[in-house]
Amino acid sequence: MSDDSNNKNAKGPALNDPRAVLSLLEADQVVAAKRRTQFGRQQLSSGTRFLLWGLRVYVVLMLAIVALSVFRAVHSAH
Amino acid sequence: MDDRKPTTASSIKGTAHPTTESAVTSPAAPELIQLLTHEDVDRARDRWEVAQARAKKTRGTFGGVRLLWLLVGPGVLVFLGENDAPSMLSYAAVGSRFGVGFFIPFVILTFMMGFVVQEMTVRLGAVTHRGHAELIFDRFGKFWGLFSMGDLILGNFLTLITEFIGVRAGLGFFGVRPSIAVGSALLIVIAAITTGRYWTWERITMGLAIFNGLFIPAAILARPDWHAVGHAMVTWMPLPTGSRYEILILILATIGATVTPWMLFFQQSAVVDKGMQPRDINAGRFDTALGALLAAVFAIAAILATVPLFHHGISAADFQGAQFAEALEPLIGHVGAALFALGIFEAGIVAAIAISTSSAYAFGEVFKTGHSLNRPLREAWPFYLTLLGSAFAAAALVLLPRFPLEFVVLTVNVIAVMAMPPALAFLLLLVNDRELMGEHANGFWANMGGVTVTILLVLAGLGFGIATVFPHWLGG
Repeated sequence: MSDDSNNKNAKGPALNDPRAVLSLLEADQVVAAKRRTQFGRQQLSSGTRFLLWGLRVYVVLMLAIVALSVFRAVHSAH
Repeated sequence: MDDRKPTTASSIKGTAHPTTESAVTSPAAPELIQLLTHEDVDRARDRWEVAQARAKKTRGTFGGVRLLWLLVGPGVLVFLGENDAPSMLSYAAVGSRFGVGFFIPFVILTFMMGFVVQEMTVRLGAVTHRGHAELIFDRFGKFWGLFSMGDLILGNFLTLITEFIGVRAGLGFFGVRPSIAVGSALLIVIAAITTGRYWTWERITMGLAIFNGLFIPAAILARPDWHAVGHAMVTWMPLPTGSRYEILILILATIGATVTPWMLFFQQSAVVDKGMQPRDINAGRFDTALGALLAAVFAIAAILATVPLFHHGISAADFQGAQFAEALEPLIGHVGAALFALGIFEAGIVAAIAISTSSAYAFGEVFKTGHSLNRPLREAWPFYLTLLGSAFAAAALVLLPRFPLEFVVLTVNVIAVMAMPPALAFLLLLVNDRELMGEHANGFWANMGGVTVTILLVLAGLGFGIATVFPHWLGG
C-alpha cells in the first residue's frame, strides 16, 4: 500500500520532495490525476430507469403533500 | 493548471478501477510530479501520520489507539452534525409529548439505519476518492445529477436556516440579541475554515460537536426513571397515544433526524478530503459506529431531559428552542435549563458548519472547481464562497422580521425523509457498481440493509401522505 513507503523517516516527512508526496498517495488520489480522469457513464437498465423515475415522481408528490400539510398547520395556527 | 479534456479512468492508468497502486509507481508519475498541489501535500502529510501510527500498531505499542484517533472524524461529525437544532427539538417534542416509551428504542433503530447507509459512503469515498455528487454526475449523467443536487441544495438550505433558528433560540434563553447570536455563529463558521487545513477544521468541529453531550447532564438533572427507560428499551412500551397524525409526524421527524441526504454527500466528501484509502475502511466503520452511538445516547438524553414536561402535563406542541428551556427551568432547575439551551445552540453551530461544507463540497464536485478544506482561499474561492454564502444567506433570513420560521422548522425533517429514497437508490447503485468498487462492492447483507431502510422510508412517507390527504382515516 502506498502509505507504507515513507515509514523510514519517523521525525517527519520530507514533503518538499514530490516523490515523497506521491509515495504517500494512491495513483487515483492525486488532484491532477483525478482532474484528468472521469468514470464513464453507467448503462442503466430499463428496470433501474423505471425505479428512478418512480422515486422522482414520489418525491414530487410528497413535496406537494408536505406543502399542503404546512399550509394547513400555518393556517390553523393563525 | 492542467486543462486537458478528461479521459476515462481506465484509459489513463491502463488498469481497471479500483486500484491501490501508489502514485509514485504509476505510469503517470513523471507528469503528476509537475502538477502537485497544496492539497496533495497536506493530504500526504496526513497519510504519513497514518503510516507512522500503522507501523507502531504492528509493533504492539499504542499505535492502534493513535491510528483510530487519526482516522476518526467524518463519521463522528456526520452523526453529531445531524443531531442538529431541529433534530434535538424533535427529540424534545417526543419526550415532552409521550414521555419514556416507544421512542427510546425507536431512536436507537433509526441510528442503526443511519449506520447501515453511512458505512456505504465510507467505502465509496475510500475506494473511488470521489465525492458523492461527482460520482452521480459521472456515472448517471447531468439529468439525474441535477435532480439529486436539487434535492440536496433545497434540503441543505432549509436545514441551514433551522440551525440558525436553533442558535438564535439557544442563546435567546440567556438574553442574547438575535443579531449577536447569529453573528457569533457565523464567526465560528469562518474561524473553522480559516486554517486552510482539513485536519484542523475536523478537530475544531469535533471539539465543538462533543458539546452535544450537554444533554446528558440536563437529562440527569431531570431525574429520569431508569427502570422505565430499561423497560422501554426491552419492550418498546408504552406505545404513544393520542392523535395518530401527530404520532406519525413525530415518527417522521425522528427518522429525518437520523437519515438525510446531506449526510451521504458530506461523509463521502469528508472521507475523500481526509485522504482515506481502502485499507482505512475498517477504521471508517469504527468512526461511523462511534458517531452513531454517541449521537443515539445524546438524542435519548434530549428525550429524557424533557420528560418532566410530559409528567406535568405541559403542552409542548408549538415550542421552539428557548421555550423548551424556559418551560424546563422550574422543573429541572436553572442549570439544567441552561444546559439544554446551550445544547440547542451547539447543535445549531456544528450542523451549520457541516451542512454548509456539504453544500460547498457538492458544488465544487459538480462544477469541477477546487473542493477541499486543504486548499487555500485563492485556489478554491468558489468552494469557500459557496460555504460562507449559504451560511450568510441562511443567517440573514433568520433575522428577517417576518420570515416564516415556523414553516421551515415544520418542514425540514419531513422533507429530508421524502428526499431520502432517491438518494439511497443512487447510493445503492454506486456501491454495487463493481467497476468502481471491485471487492469493496456491497454484499448480500449490506444490500438487504440498504433496501430495507429505503422501503421503510418510502412506507413512512406514504403513510404521511395518506394521513395528510385523508386525515379522517387516522382519526384526525
